Amino acid sequence: MLVFQSVILGLLLGGLYALLAAGLTLYFGIMRVVMIAHSAFLILAAYLAWWTNERLGIDPLLSLVVTVPLFFGAGVLLQRGLLSRLRPATLTMMSVLITFAIALIIEGLLGYAFSGTQRRIQLGYGTASFDLFGARVAVVKLIAFGLAVVSLAGLYLLMKRTQFGWALRATIQHQDAARLVGIDTERTAGFGFGLGLATAAVGGTALSLDTTIYPSLHWHWIGPLMAIIVVGGLGSVPGAAAAALVLGLAQSLLQIPMGATWAQTVFYVALFATLAVRPQGFFGGRLAQRF
Amino acid sequence: MRSPARRTTWAVALSATLFLTACGGGDDGGDKATGPIVVGISLPLTGDFSEPGKGVQEGYEAWAKITNDKGGLLGRQIELKILDDQSNADRVVADYEQLIGSDQVDLVVGPFSTRLVVPSARVAQEYGMLFVEPAGAAAEVFNQGFKNLFYAAPAVADDHYNHLAEYLLALPAGQKPTTVAYAAMDDPFAQGTAYGLKKKLEAGGVKTVVDEVYPPNTTDFGSIAAKIAAAKPDMVVGGSQYQDGVNLIVALQQLNYQPKLAAFSTAPTNPEFAKAIGNKTEGILSPTGYSQDAPYASNKEFVEKFKAQFGQAPEEDQANGYTTGQVVGAAVEAAGCAEQGECQQKLIDWLHSNTVETVVGPLKWDATGKPQGAHMIQQWVGDDIKIVLPADAKEADLVYPKPAW
Amino acid sequence: MPNASKSLLSYGVPALVLVAAIAVFPSLAPNPYILSSGVIVLNWAVLATAWNFVGGFTGYISLGHGALAGLGGYATGLLITKADLPSFVALIAAAVLVAALAVPIGFAALRVRGASFVIVSIALVLILLLVFQSWSSLTGGSRGLVVPRPFPGMLRPEHHRVFFFLYGGLLLIALATWWLLDRSRFGMGLKAIREDEDKAESLGTPTFAYKLTVFVISAAFTALAGGLYALWFGDLDPVFQFSVLTGSYVVLMALLGGVRNLYGPVLGAIVVGIALEYFKVEFGNTPLHLVTTGLLLGLVVMFMPDGVIPSLTTLVQRLRKREDSSIREMSAADLAEQRREREAANS
Repeated sequence: MLVFQSVILGLLLGGLYALLAAGLTLYFGIMRVVMIAHSAFLILAAYLAWWTNERLGIDPLLSLVVTVPLFFGAGVLLQRGLLSRLRPATLTMMSVLITFAIALIIEGLLGYAFSGTQRRIQLGYGTASFDLFGARVAVVKLIAFGLAVVSLAGLYLLMKRTQFGWALRATIQHQDAARLVGIDTERTAGFGFGLGLATAAVGGTALSLDTTIYPSLHWHWIGPLMAIIVVGGLGSVPGAAAAALVLGLAQSLLQIPMGATWAQTVFYVALFATLAVRPQGFFGGRLAQRF
Repeated sequence: MRSPARRTTWAVALSATLFLTACGGGDDGGDKATGPIVVGISLPLTGDFSEPGKGVQEGYEAWAKITNDKGGLLGRQIELKILDDQSNADRVVADYEQLIGSDQVDLVVGPFSTRLVVPSARVAQEYGMLFVEPAGAAAEVFNQGFKNLFYAAPAVADDHYNHLAEYLLALPAGQKPTTVAYAAMDDPFAQGTAYGLKKKLEAGGVKTVVDEVYPPNTTDFGSIAAKIAAAKPDMVVGGSQYQDGVNLIVALQQLNYQPKLAAFSTAPTNPEFAKAIGNKTEGILSPTGYSQDAPYASNKEFVEKFKAQFGQAPEEDQANGYTTGQVVGAAVEAAGCAEQGECQQKLIDWLHSNTVETVVGPLKWDATGKPQGAHMIQQWVGDDIKIVLPADAKEADLVYPKPAW
Repeated sequence: MPNASKSLLSYGVPALVLVAAIAVFPSLAPNPYILSSGVIVLNWAVLATAWNFVGGFTGYISLGHGALAGLGGYATGLLITKADLPSFVALIAAAVLVAALAVPIGFAALRVRGASFVIVSIALVLILLLVFQSWSSLTGGSRGLVVPRPFPGMLRPEHHRVFFFLYGGLLLIALATWWLLDRSRFGMGLKAIREDEDKAESLGTPTFAYKLTVFVISAAFTALAGGLYALWFGDLDPVFQFSVLTGSYVVLMALLGGVRNLYGPVLGAIVVGIALEYFKVEFGNTPLHLVTTGLLLGLVVMFMPDGVIPSLTTLVQRLRKREDSSIREMSAADLAEQRREREAANS
């Protein structure tokens, strides 16, 4: 019974990981950039959702109307204004540092604006749950999972079925070739970044429904997310989603025998094992080897 | 050919000089005997412990104001010098280093959070300063061999649940809880409360079915709660600070687990608590070292003047800060001095052999600075939290088994 | 010989200044607080110099050196408390242990380039934080580890003085090692990796062995600094020992001072270390120090990735209209970019 409950919890968590990792791996696919600030934006979105609820008294989900376009714009700006200006030779290293710096700035500003106190949205349906074959499923967790699944599906359709998705995939696969067939790769890359950051907005809102947030929480998230994208194969969105579900499930199940803290190490064990055995990742992604 | 390295030469030389001159400006005290008594404090005003840190700060400020309004200590006004340690052990040591070495404060009092107390007490010890502290409740604070340290509260963490343990073990066999689940933050204070109770209940034959420890930065309590709910214990004990306690309770409620008794440290006494868990507080227990209604002489004055100063009633953190001030104040009045040097030893000696009347009752300490008392137990009844143990201080009867939450 | 005099001027004079500054600082410090700040700054200087063995020579940027320092600190503390070793024997043993541990870490991290290396370095900090928090029977967990004083009964100001000199000595050893490496064939090979790893490899440089060796040396010095910190400070807490911030400050210091220069990281450490203390005193009660660090790091990366000193030097030289291409070490990519710029200007 406990195992079944843990499987449910693991899947619900894995869905959120999948969405966030998809964004992170998208940046890498487009520009070979490891975006350390991804989870800082995640926490920023969660704070905005919390603040919306606290100050305006409306449902935190409504904050998405503002945060998604806002983050999309921020992503485009970030790519056009900062990352594309770095020297190509040192791009990978320097982009890590610059996004790291952005993460620090966001964390500092959040701490300045909202203090280091832990915050949690108080929802009327916060403790509501229903029974599913003997396991309890919390309504808020299901909403968060639903958001993640819908956004991932949207992202998938966007990439597979639209003109922009075609251009984006071409840019990821071979930038020069994409340019040759007439794709404005720079604009595409900018929009791709916007898209990635929009996943952070959705993820942050989903996250805020059921966890406590504090400014330095993003360090707690970036580690597992980075592990997921390496295991899934850097640059591969389906790989990231698959790895996220597997690792989220593993973490949840390992908590039964090992306890909460040790279970988190599963991400890093998977990361090191992947790098030692199969640096290109387990779910596709041929980019990692070189970078 | 000019080389960049050569410029570095000058840059290094220049900055070394700058460093030396920048460090030159120390400040040179003032009139020691007539000027204000400067009390140096480092508190977590930002970072993980900023909320309780601010509570303790208010307590200190209330103490300074109330004492100053009555003419100060030894006829000298009290001046607080508060630095922010960002909840960081490196900073807390640097802070006390700065306060004692550079700012030449007359007295130092403690920071918040147990894990910061040991490093800062060591600084005070190595400068020969008295160190009264409002928040170092864990057992290991007192086995470091400090001779200058005093904890200004009724009891250390391990003794917080003493009254509850006595009550439960005295129940007849059919009613006594038989299984208990413990979940504690890996924090000396929070874990100390839960494990103090665990030790006593296990000695009384009550079985432990779940024993979970989680790190301070845990935010997802789903799986810990799942484990507890699956074991169906009669009672759940949470060694919590604030937010983790709230999260754990919400996670337990999401799983619809109904224990006969639920006890959590710290969180349930917070004024935000009921709202944070959607008012499903029914029957939750919590130990507390302070009550606004406690009958001690100085407490009435404290509550009244605190309300006037801050517009709300004081909670436990505020009371702890205030108590610390009272203890130091009593020592200063008795020893007749307050400055660095030999005076500090006089203050330490006096506190080792005397009892101080405070807002949490009379306090006295053993040789390690450990206070000799126990905490009261409060329970949520209806929409209010009331003292239920010990019998001679109770405002309501303990409800057991507790109603569903 | 002009070359010798240049070498003397660029390495010898700063060395003398540095030795003199270390020698006189404790007696000039007006109070123990300033002296303790001096110890902290020297700790940063050693960490930044140790970092620069990897960062400066190979161009691999590690954000995880804080973890190695934390490991050094914990290893020292545990060897004293659990194995009853004398303090300074424990310090050396801890450095050897961490160096040995750096071999498998480096093996996993250095197999991959760029992004994955940085990911691994950050992951190292996060995983060690988890392990040291969870394994509380050994490490004391979140309750921390109390490291016994190496000189029991010594008063605090005297204690600071002793450790100031210990750190000073360690810094000089680290600098001397860097200088020796810089002039060796080994150092040339490493710099070839920085400029173009594939080319270096095809020209017969055993790049992986070189990278691993220098990573281990760097880890040993980092661990020594961390161990010394444990002895000086006395209390270890996983949250502070394994903080990503430590690594980021070190990177900021090294980049700010300039990674290609022997004294760059030291200079960066002095500037940033003092700035950190100053910010704390002036703006202590806000988290704005994070914002400041972030902004500074961002500015350095965007506008002067070679460090402030080299950038200023180039600027001065440009103002004097001197040809600078022969002075700065240029990578193939730099040259390619210059070429592109020229072409763009011509077309």
